[in-house]
Amino acid sequence: MTKLRHYNGNPQKNSPALGATLAFLGVNGLLALLHGSQGCSSFIRLQLSRHYKEPIPLNSTALLEESVIFGGWDHLKKGIAVAADKYKPQIIGVMSSGLTETYGDDMVSALASLRLERPDLEDLPVVLASTPDYIGSMQEGYQRTVEALLMTLAGQTNKTKSLGLADSNDAPSVALLPGCHLTPGDVDELKEIVKSFGYRVITVPDLSISLDGHAELEAAPVVQGGTLIEEFQRLPECKACFSFGQSMEKAGEFLKKTYQIPHFNIPSLTGLTATDTFILTLAKISGKTIPERLLRQRSRLLDTLADYHDQLGGQKIAIALEMDLLYSLGSCLVEVGSEISVALSASQGSGNTLSLPFPVEVGDLEMLEERAADCDLIIANSNGRQAAGMLKVPHLRAGLPVFDRAGYPQKRWIGYEGTQQFLFDMLNSLS
Amino acid sequence: MFTNLTKLDLKDKECMSDAGSPKLCMKALPGEGAERSCAYDGARVVLMPITDVAHLVHGPIACAGNSWDNRGARSSGSQLYRRGLTTDIMENDVIYGGEIKLKKSILEIAARHNPKAIFVYATCVSSLIGDDVEKVCREAEAELTIPVIAVNCPGFLGDKNIGNRIAGEVLYDRVIGSAAGSDEKIPLSINLIGEYNIAGDLWGVLPDLKNLGITLQTAITGDAKFDDLRSAHRASLNVLICSKSLTNLVRKMEIRYGIPFMEGSFYGIHDTSETLVKIAKALGDPDLVERTLVYVQKKEEETRKTIAGYKKLLENKQAILFTGGVKTWSMVSTLAELGINILAGGTQNSTPEDFQRMKELMDPSAQIIEDTSSAGFLKIIAEKKPDLIVAGGKTKYLAHKTRTPFLDINHGRKLPYAGYQGMITFAETLARTVLSPVWGHLKREFPPREGELDD
Repeated sequence: MTKLRHYNGNPQKNSPALGATLAFLGVNGLLALLHGSQGCSSFIRLQLSRHYKEPIPLNSTALLEESVIFGGWDHLKKGIAVAADKYKPQIIGVMSSGLTETYGDDMVSALASLRLERPDLEDLPVVLASTPDYIGSMQEGYQRTVEALLMTLAGQTNKTKSLGLADSNDAPSVALLPGCHLTPGDVDELKEIVKSFGYRVITVPDLSISLDGHAELEAAPVVQGGTLIEEFQRLPECKACFSFGQSMEKAGEFLKKTYQIPHFNIPSLTGLTATDTFILTLAKISGKTIPERLLRQRSRLLDTLADYHDQLGGQKIAIALEMDLLYSLGSCLVEVGSEISVALSASQGSGNTLSLPFPVEVGDLEMLEERAADCDLIIANSNGRQAAGMLKVPHLRAGLPVFDRAGYPQKRWIGYEGTQQFLFDMLNSLS
Repeated sequence: MFTNLTKLDLKDKECMSDAGSPKLCMKALPGEGAERSCAYDGARVVLMPITDVAHLVHGPIACAGNSWDNRGARSSGSQLYRRGLTTDIMENDVIYGGEIKLKKSILEIAARHNPKAIFVYATCVSSLIGDDVEKVCREAEAELTIPVIAVNCPGFLGDKNIGNRIAGEVLYDRVIGSAAGSDEKIPLSINLIGEYNIAGDLWGVLPDLKNLGITLQTAITGDAKFDDLRSAHRASLNVLICSKSLTNLVRKMEIRYGIPFMEGSFYGIHDTSETLVKIAKALGDPDLVERTLVYVQKKEEETRKTIAGYKKLLENKQAILFTGGVKTWSMVSTLAELGINILAGGTQNSTPEDFQRMKELMDPSAQIIEDTSSAGFLKIIAEKKPDLIVAGGKTKYLAHKTRTPFLDINHGRKLPYAGYQGMITFAETLARTVLSPVWGHLKREFPPREGELDD
């Protein structure tokens, strides 16, 4: 990967703490607390709320100059206590920032010390995620936070409540760990597909019922919808675990190692072969036949591929996305005969071992502008609009943030139907 | 390295002990959820609308990556200011320091983008690892033909207001008065300070100034060109539109360049007229005063006639108002113009004077919102059950969850609300929001309770 410039021009990267916030937003009753200065959380709230058109519950430990000198340890303790007292969340999710990671606040000891001082908060689960702003992008922050959520909450029994949820007559459960490349609409679709094989699902985090944009019965300043704390407790009972996106592999491996649950990593769910692989795996482990509905969707996709093969083939496409999404959409495009002439990922992506039939570089949207001039289509987040406008190349919005197109969070890009829709969107953008 | 706060004119204000008043001198409580953002944000709000310069953020991705090109400040010319430029500090930079990367970035940006100047913003992490941004800027400037200006605004210095002040200091020290040409005053010319041309607000006011024969030297900083800012000291009058956080700037300009200043607002019919007349008087031209008085009367009548229909639709509606800066009080009279009553009002990032002025203008029965967090906001909506909420975009989607009509009046909006034309747009938009048929659907129970089916 060649480093052409020393600055990042028109970044496509989001901060890791934003990814952390996103993961926390998929957990019911949670209040996220960013250990940093107030701007860190303000920017994340703004960015996520213009993407999802939703309120974003995220508080801050509001660090100031003296905490920079004396450390933010006390601030963190106070922040957790104030958030717990004022908002009465079921869970508090804390993430660090560039500021606190640079001077090295020990979040674990701060929490331990708070628990000693405030025995009444002993039962309040607090999840600590380390997300320094200077390592990785949204994907890395999200990944670390999902791992932290599982390590802290999975299998923990709540002292005050007995479980009693799983009945032996109930359908077997599987755990789903969707990556941050999936929209709430995608997660919804994913759950439906898995349920159609006779499973109950536990989804961590579950954005499909928190950030899907629904009218709440009553507005609240903590996360509404998302994975229930009881579902975390039931994770060890799962018969299998599926993680989606390569970034989620480690989280899945954690469940596998800890609870001896078979784990399958599904790097992509967009495209015919990617979906086939997933569906065949589901059919195999469930011992059930593939539902008629899915076969019908598949045959519709095949027909679409045939009908439009000529327009799909030979298109020169520039993609700039976070790694998992780049892999998903990129491999689907190659599968239909398009040519990926530029592929820029927001960050390195951790431990990326998948091979793609085109070179991928870490790059910003200024690089996209420099390279995509003779492309037929740009696929990037809304911030790609400057490059697309300047080059007069059509621009299909994908990733985050998408703030200038309606309905993005509800959009589906996965499965046979989502793939078909993605190809339609692509073709419609071209004309 | 760190900005000396005593230099920033903070000392000239007493802390307000009044409930709900802006906590200029008070620290935010960790975890409470008040949303006051940081000094870096405050500095970028003031400086980033300058159109033909490059804005380079020396920090990790959290500072620029989450926020670039996200404000509605518009430009009639260069789009360079909308570019997100950052050194994107990484782990290795934290360990080894980021000065070399910063300097190379400055030189590369100068070569690629050909800016009139480069503003370099220091952030929490760059300050903490001890990067001397000012020194690097000086060094880079020596190799270039354009100014390279350090803005020392790490977020931990405080909230947005402090950042506004730092930006004012930077403009005063490094930009204003640095033009090579004449220093002579331009007659009947003004600067509009704190006007950021959000959604094109400035363009709504310019025709009125032009019709009256008043020249705009520059707005600080909406749709501003760097060279016009450099000559800002040639204006005859400074008009402070928004955010008294730039009071430091106008005071210093008065001392150094002898430019008097006044405050004003272009939100609402009453405030627009009052401001135009005050400008005319302050410019000291009897002819101008006379034609302004005639002009504003004519415009007021025209505007009132146009919005009469909307007023009829909105009259006696009950509102909650939550905003900052000059809009705090200016919006009170704007809503009053449409016959809307204010049930409760709150503010953030305003000065104590703005807050006091809002209080005086509101009905004494109106409640002051003390808890400005989302929890406090929801509580007051539940208590007051307003017909509409007028606030900044941050609360928009929360308000929608309460199924209450909401109008965004801050930087996220798409339509200009300033001046007479802006008042018409405001009334139009507000009526469309409040009278939208969707609120009825949102409040209807489904499935209907038994016995209600035939209603």
